[in-house]
Amino acid sequence: MDTSSPSIFVNGESLPLYFGKRVRAVVQVIQSDGAGTTAKSTDEHQLIIKGLPVIPPLNFVEVIGIADSNQSVNAEIWTDFGSTFDTASYNQLCKLANREFKALFL
Amino acid sequence: MFSSSQFDATSAFSGGGFMPSQSTQLTDSTPSPAKSRNSLGVVPVTVKQISQASQSGDEKSSFVINGVDVTNVTVVGMVFDKAEKSTDVSFLIDDGTGRIGCRRWVTENFDKLEMEAVQDGMYVRVIGHLRVFQDVKQLVAFSVRPVTNFDEITFHFIDCIHSHLQNPKLQGGASTHPHMVESSMNTPVQNGQTITSNLMSKQFDVDGLRDCDQLVLDRLQQSSSIGQEKGMHMDELCQQLKLPMEKIRESIRSLEDEGLIYSTIDEFHYKAT
Repeated sequence: MDTSSPSIFVNGESLPLYFGKRVRAVVQVIQSDGAGTTAKSTDEHQLIIKGLPVIPPLNFVEVIGIADSNQSVNAEIWTDFGSTFDTASYNQLCKLANREFKALFL
Repeated sequence: MFSSSQFDATSAFSGGGFMPSQSTQLTDSTPSPAKSRNSLGVVPVTVKQISQASQSGDEKSSFVINGVDVTNVTVVGMVFDKAEKSTDVSFLIDDGTGRIGCRRWVTENFDKLEMEAVQDGMYVRVIGHLRVFQDVKQLVAFSVRPVTNFDEITFHFIDCIHSHLQNPKLQGGASTHPHMVESSMNTPVQNGQTITSNLMSKQFDVDGLRDCDQLVLDRLQQSSSIGQEKGMHMDELCQQLKLPMEKIRESIRSLEDEGLIYSTIDEFHYKAT
């Protein structure tokens, strides 16, 4: 059992709080060219995700990696979540997981 | 016949049925009737919550999370280090809050087929029971199902939060929770308002039911002490306690499940044990 390396649920608003830490976020791809992917977080912030392959625009992808600036994540693991995803619920989850219910996650 | 000190609702709710053999297998013989009410079947949890769980007394098969006895849990996360052996398949599941070892015994073809579909890097929902082996908590899985709709991941964590909010209410910690629920749900989302009111009403319903159980039990105990052999009819309880029949029925059901009352001459007359 190991809880030493959690990945925190973040959206665009909470990403800056976790600079240098492992985070996870579901984003919607805007533009992907192999060098860096421009994507939209669940709260409509624009983020840059590094280390992703080319992904079709408008697809949702979950990215787990290190936050290396207020607006970018260096991806270590990514999962294609397909073309439909409930961003509103996920965004609410990010808020709850970072505020009142942080103890259940970190 | 089970006395209240031996009856354990854990086995009834999680094992399915009231057969003596099943109760013997699954009971953790916790003597307190109040504690037995708290077992909740399959509880959604995060690995972080499991890491903080303490063991229930000396029984290694039961854990306490949020003050509630928990045996069967469900976790949603990513599979790592899957290793197949002839009798079992072991893997790690990482849900973002931590990693925990899982083991799925493979005794039938169905088990084998289910585990063949599971690969490293895949999101799965695991349902199983918590065990301690060589001081390390692990999950003995009886169901491992790949996640195909990724909203299930969001749902699971919200379910964990919901379950976390529900449990302390049963412990009578409700006085602090109205504030917690309001602050967490008053976000500027239209749906949030509806959710707040639903949660608040559900919370008060749970508190009301406990009080009702106590009233019914007290009245039945009074009637036993004055020598009423056949106990009291449900209608009498309804009239004397001035409570709705539905609440009386629910209380009678829970009290009977806990072995605190029993039916006498027919299914309408009850007496305290």
